[in-house]
Amino acid sequence: MQGQALRYFLCISVFVAVANAGFAQQSQNDKAAIQMFEKQVSEYVDLRNKVRANAPKLSKDSTPEQIHAYRTALEESMRNARAGAKRGELFRPETADYIRRTLKTEFQGKDRRELREQVFETETQGVVLRVNYPYAESAELSEMPATLLAKLPQLPKEVRYRFVGRNMLLVDRESNVIIDYMPDALP
Amino acid sequence: MRRLHIHNFLLAFVVSVTLFLPVPAQKLSSNNAHSSPPKLTLPVKDGSVRFAVIGDTGSGTTKQKDVGDMMVKYRALFPFEFVLMMGDNLYGGEDPKDFEKKFSEPYKPLLDNKVKFYATLGNHDLPIQVNYENFNMNGKEYYRFKKGNVAFYSLNSNYMDKKQVKWLEDELAKDTSEWKICFFHHPPYSSAKKHGSDDQLREVVEPIFLKYGVNVVLTGHDHVYERIKPQKGIYYFVSGAGGKLRSGDISETSQLTEKSYDRDLHFMLFEVAGNQMYFQAISRTGETIDSGMIARKRS
Repeated sequence: MQGQALRYFLCISVFVAVANAGFAQQSQNDKAAIQMFEKQVSEYVDLRNKVRANAPKLSKDSTPEQIHAYRTALEESMRNARAGAKRGELFRPETADYIRRTLKTEFQGKDRRELREQVFETETQGVVLRVNYPYAESAELSEMPATLLAKLPQLPKEVRYRFVGRNMLLVDRESNVIIDYMPDALP
Repeated sequence: MRRLHIHNFLLAFVVSVTLFLPVPAQKLSSNNAHSSPPKLTLPVKDGSVRFAVIGDTGSGTTKQKDVGDMMVKYRALFPFEFVLMMGDNLYGGEDPKDFEKKFSEPYKPLLDNKVKFYATLGNHDLPIQVNYENFNMNGKEYYRFKKGNVAFYSLNSNYMDKKQVKWLEDELAKDTSEWKICFFHHPPYSSAKKHGSDDQLREVVEPIFLKYGVNVVLTGHDHVYERIKPQKGIYYFVSGAGGKLRSGDISETSQLTEKSYDRDLHFMLFEVAGNQMYFQAISRTGETIDSGMIARKRS
């Protein structure tokens, strides 16, 4: 009888340990994916800032001509600096998987419905999803809900998340160039 | 005979061409045909803070220019010092010619008279607009400025991230201004059928507004005018038809509406004098579509 109780106790202990280890392992993977993503975004910003130093200066009270010249120069210089950049270099599979899971878990029922409505009402016709090329100037920008941004890895001020349909984009705030994108982000 | 034929042909050609020549854009404007003389309902008190509000302006159409012209007419009676822009400042492209056609030209008389415009970003605006000299955003997507006893907070509702939420809380927490006005693009409350209330944004910003005593919230996005019934003591306006109109878009069954207008473009005038804030909403053709006074609750 005592032996049987001990066996049950051991069984439960092993189950709990394995289960905990599983969760811990998953959480570690997520943390690593986020860290890698943040590191790559940070590297992008470093490169951008180097390139930016050679672009025409942009003051806080610029004329439209100065803004245009700056934006065009930054866009072209970054395209050259990132020549050969491909989709999935920042949204690596493990990061994309984390984002998809997070959105699926955090947005359910009414919240998911509202999020989808908000994203799908954005008129994004004309946007060609192509890394290193600008988001179409004539297209609307999707509103990124505060509740959603709170759940995603935080970005530096130079980089933004944006939706085009179910695709999630990383866009340069000033040049409007698509840095990377991942399909099927929105549940 | 042959000469007569040629003469008739030429005459017919000239008459046809004249008939089909496009009418100059200004003549197409119904402003000239149906505009009402300015009729001010605001008290114009000494030392008051006076400003105008326009939203969703950047279409570059003749009608946008009509609104700009009507603002000039009203400014002769009500010398407002600055204009708040509710976003969607430039639809479509953002090349230098777009800034000219969709902003500088329609408001040229105001700009020439040193009226300052303070912009916020809409869902059609590239963030780089924050660097444009005439939007007075000082390179920032969200910012605060003060006039008299009124603090103004321009927020970027396209991208309400944690940093912005924290900034708003920190700024409001130390703000001792009598009036606190927040303006941004997406309306937390709206009865328009196209977009309507932005519940997700409201979930985040409304508790902050309530906690720190924001009095008035000005927004755009829906291309209509709407004064919302006070929500938890806060007055919300939707002023999103300064350059684009969505005719008939207000839901007639909405319980939110105090007053609405969706038949023409409009702009608004505000005057803050002590504990009173007066407002007047004016159509493109000069008709008063709404007016009233908001009394500040003493904290």
